Amino acid sequence: MGEVILTMKDIDKTFPGVHALDHVNFEVRKGEVHALMGENGAGKSTLMKVLTGIYAKDSGTITYEGKEVSFHNTREAQDAGIVIVHQELNMVGHLTVAQNIYIGREFRKGIRIDDKKMNEEAAKLFDRLRIHIDPTETMSSLTVGKQQMCEIAKAISRDAKVIIFDEPSAALTEAEIEELFKIIRDLREQQVGIVYISHRMDEIKVITDRVTVMRDGAYVGTLITKDCSKEDIINMMVGRVIYEDPKACSAVPPDAPVVLRVEHLNAGRMVQNVSFELHKGEILGFSGLMGAGRTETARAIFGADPKESGDIYINGKKVEINSPQDAVRNGIGYLSEDRKQFGIVVQKTVAENSTLANLGNFMRGLFINKRKEAQVAQQYVDSLATKTPSVEQLVVNLSGGNQQKVVIAKWLVKDCEILIFDEPTRGIDVGAKNEIYKLMNRLAAEGKSIIMISSEMTEILRMSDRVLVMCEGKKTGELDIQEATQETIMTLATREISI
Amino acid sequence: MEKLKQHPIVKKAGFNRIVLCGVLALMYLLFSLANKNFAGLPRILSALNYAYFLGFLSLGVTFVIATGGIDFSIGPVMFCAALISGFCLTSYGVPMGISLVLSVLVGMLFGVFNGYLVAYCSVPPFIVSMASMNIAKGLASVFTKTQTVSWPQSSAPGGWYRNLIKMGSIPVGLIIFLAFAALCAVILNQTRAGRYILCLGSNQEAVRLSGVNVKKWKMLAYVICGTLVGIAAIFFVAAYTTVQPGYGDQYNNEAIAGCVMGGTSMAGGLASISGTVIGVFVIALLQEGILALGAAKDYQQVITGIIVIAAVYADVAARRRKN
Amino acid sequence: MGKSDMPNKSIVERLGGQKVIVLLVVMVLFAFFCIASPNFRQYSTVLSILDYSYYIALMAIGVTFPLITGGVDLSIGTGLICYSLVGGYLVVHKGCPTIVGILVAVAFGVAIGLLNGALVALMNLPPFMATLCTCMITRGLGALIVNRLGISWPTSGTEGSWFRDIFKTTIGDIKVPLGFLWVVLLVALMAFVLNHTPIGRYAIAIGSNKEAVALSGINVRFYHTMAYVISGLFAGLAAVAYSAVFSTVQPGTGAGFELEAIGGAIIGGVSATGGAGSVEGSLLGVFVICLLKTGLPYVGLQANWQQIITGLVLIGAVLVDILKKKRSGELRAA
Repeated sequence: MGEVILTMKDIDKTFPGVHALDHVNFEVRKGEVHALMGENGAGKSTLMKVLTGIYAKDSGTITYEGKEVSFHNTREAQDAGIVIVHQELNMVGHLTVAQNIYIGREFRKGIRIDDKKMNEEAAKLFDRLRIHIDPTETMSSLTVGKQQMCEIAKAISRDAKVIIFDEPSAALTEAEIEELFKIIRDLREQQVGIVYISHRMDEIKVITDRVTVMRDGAYVGTLITKDCSKEDIINMMVGRVIYEDPKACSAVPPDAPVVLRVEHLNAGRMVQNVSFELHKGEILGFSGLMGAGRTETARAIFGADPKESGDIYINGKKVEINSPQDAVRNGIGYLSEDRKQFGIVVQKTVAENSTLANLGNFMRGLFINKRKEAQVAQQYVDSLATKTPSVEQLVVNLSGGNQQKVVIAKWLVKDCEILIFDEPTRGIDVGAKNEIYKLMNRLAAEGKSIIMISSEMTEILRMSDRVLVMCEGKKTGELDIQEATQETIMTLATREISI
Repeated sequence: MEKLKQHPIVKKAGFNRIVLCGVLALMYLLFSLANKNFAGLPRILSALNYAYFLGFLSLGVTFVIATGGIDFSIGPVMFCAALISGFCLTSYGVPMGISLVLSVLVGMLFGVFNGYLVAYCSVPPFIVSMASMNIAKGLASVFTKTQTVSWPQSSAPGGWYRNLIKMGSIPVGLIIFLAFAALCAVILNQTRAGRYILCLGSNQEAVRLSGVNVKKWKMLAYVICGTLVGIAAIFFVAAYTTVQPGYGDQYNNEAIAGCVMGGTSMAGGLASISGTVIGVFVIALLQEGILALGAAKDYQQVITGIIVIAAVYADVAARRRKN
Repeated sequence: MGKSDMPNKSIVERLGGQKVIVLLVVMVLFAFFCIASPNFRQYSTVLSILDYSYYIALMAIGVTFPLITGGVDLSIGTGLICYSLVGGYLVVHKGCPTIVGILVAVAFGVAIGLLNGALVALMNLPPFMATLCTCMITRGLGALIVNRLGISWPTSGTEGSWFRDIFKTTIGDIKVPLGFLWVVLLVALMAFVLNHTPIGRYAIAIGSNKEAVALSGINVRFYHTMAYVISGLFAGLAAVAYSAVFSTVQPGTGAGFELEAIGGAIIGGVSATGGAGSVEGSLLGVFVICLLKTGLPYVGLQANWQQIITGLVLIGAVLVDILKKKRSGELRAA
């Protein structure tokens, strides 16, 4: 490890309603691999986005190569030598590998782009990094893992001095991870500073020199990898004081019937052989880190995405669910993660959004019974305490939390027996959160069955009767609420691989 | 400007529509000043003749644009409907009433064709439009063996259809058109079909995830459009009697212009039938005024093209501001 | 994008493959018409097919670029008539030399191309809407400038008609379709531009993943606009070809030409949603359409059937393209 090349000091950033970064410190040395760890929402991505100019910080300083800097966009950061390899790939599918790597800075022979030279240089680059990819292949014909390798090679070819890897191994095979680590070791030899964001405990132990842990937007601490244990890291990740008591024991009687049984569900890489049961009146918490496959599992059950195989039984009877229509008809409701994209119809009113899943019930002959619609909508506005001047207000004008309540109302109006809530309180203030918790408990008490996908540990522990943990598409464990603690959940949520 | 937009009366009537009415009045004034013979019933009636068939085209395309799609085969399909049913009338002796129904049927069939390809086969709407447009033109030409079709005059047998436009001094056409406009408004605002069509135009995925069969309702929008195009054909022949194969394109843009001017958003989800109606009157008056000034119809095409660009740009800019 | 875990080489094959398939279709169609009608298999028929294909081919070469960016240019049909009318007007009514008329026509095409580019790339209007409007505007403008009268560019044998000889000339007793040579040369040129210059490369990239291009620091607006300028330029060249082959140019015509050009491009492998396509493929696709257009009357089908069939073939080609994409993108791992 060499001298310090990058220092982020006292970085603070607030978004409306959320204190994303709370005086965070972070430092990178030349020739080191520095892991950045934390749960979802801990602030890792946000910190890196502040560094590379995607977000502007509210306060704090960034010192790079001895000088204070402030980048306004990724281009500036890139030109200075700080490159980030994102989780979401930014590749042009219809161009070849070499063309992608050198896009924007192609080799020219006069007016002609010198593809031959680009292929040669790319081949040399891949040789140096010991990656086995043909630079003349079309990008879209490569596996996701190989595409990521190209993204990494592209970053390296920019002569970066600091490279940030955001969950690099998520899409890689074991062999490709080996290749990646060789590359990283080479880079380390060349005195490049590397930031490695990952949740894979064992990888961290193998490849990194130091580990910095963040939690709820704050900097918790930095450990030297070889001197610490997995438990130490987990403790730092979750070691918060929980003010609300976790649920003491399950509220579900032991003889409660099984309302939903999922068997051997397969849908691509994110849903591998998932099986579980949901009981009447139960709140089943789905825990796991980002990319664990929980949303994908929910969407596959709901028919929103096609599935390869798997059986779904409702109240013991097998049902065919190939579309959201089928699911809704069978009494399943799904509150999606991203309400703006998938939950609300922005140009429409609160009332109109509320009845969208059950419009058939509001007809008088051929016409919509708008009075009944408004009445029912108002009922739910009252019972959910949705802040809106009237039910004729356009949803686009409501705050995030209240928009969420409108979406919840939609599924309540449909009176579903099985509800899947995907991150139900994301982006919602504390007061509204509590109301939603109360509502969920009330629904469960009334006999509805709920699957609650959540990345918030407190929420999982507070609300669930049972906890199902997923990691990288597989179910890694099921816990009764008595045996569930932050540590046990986190252990199941972070992958065990042998390297 | 912003304060004015918030005023309750303006909000209720719709800023767009008020501006349009103003434009309508202004245009009428200007044309009357430019041409002494302009003010007066004959010109207005002539403009109305143009407004009827164009109005039905516009109403139809409003439904399609509300889903976020587009259909510029409407002009040629209208002609195809008029030609095929007219040919049956004149050459096969099909009775007038049935010929009229046939016209609507042809339009509806094209609507089914277009709707199926867009909704169920995911073909981009502009390609479907392009193909439909030419299929319609080709079909009409083949069917009538490239001959012009002349629908009967009022005095001829079966000529009662012309009463659809005007009976004595009663503007029947206007009544029928406004009645249909009202029907469209009811469909769009008071029925399930309209609700789903507008919602899926705004956020198709959210509607799908609410358990609604979006494909079905999207296709329905195109079928409604096709049906209205078939009706437009009736009003076209009732006003002008003669239909020539191979034409029809110019009405596409005018119909879309009337719709977009009236406040319907190209992005889908937002539609105004009353705005479309006023927009159609503006276009019809424009075309009449240009005719009265003795200028070539081509001026109208250029002007309409510019108007649509302005209207679409205003829509795009407004949406960007909201984001 | 990428596949779940199996690399699939056949996309590359398929892209090269589609051109071969279209070439086969061209040959099969030609053979079919030759067999079905003795009148068809004359040299004069071939000449006729080629003559009437030049303007469509040129349009198709140009429109390949907006299509590859994921957009479209609907103004090329009425546009070419407009440019021809304007240029012709100067030659016939203002006594300008033919070369001036030609240059003005092409320049006008470039100007409208710039307008389209500005509307789509700078003002972010939907391409079909923007070019539908310029389609209307050019149609009206053309008719206005010539006062609704048709224009006849100088006919063969008269002064200033040299430009017609560029496209067909007589060597000894044989008529030679010179125009074909120019078209092939232009195809080669534009294929080079598409595959080996930034203009073409970035057009493909924009059609494939516009955000990625922007993130790479490339001036997206410029290259997006250039695609439409190229389309306008070639509409201008098509105007020249059209005037050379037809004796009179009538205002108000031109609507429907774009279907033949765009249809040809899509049949030839251009993806309706952008990112894929080739100039050679577009040319081959145009030949399919021209063969149908000219050949159908020889087997007893009225010329207008060609419109119907072209429309159906276009839809068929797009459906095939969509099916391909569905099959390859079937299981998305995310």
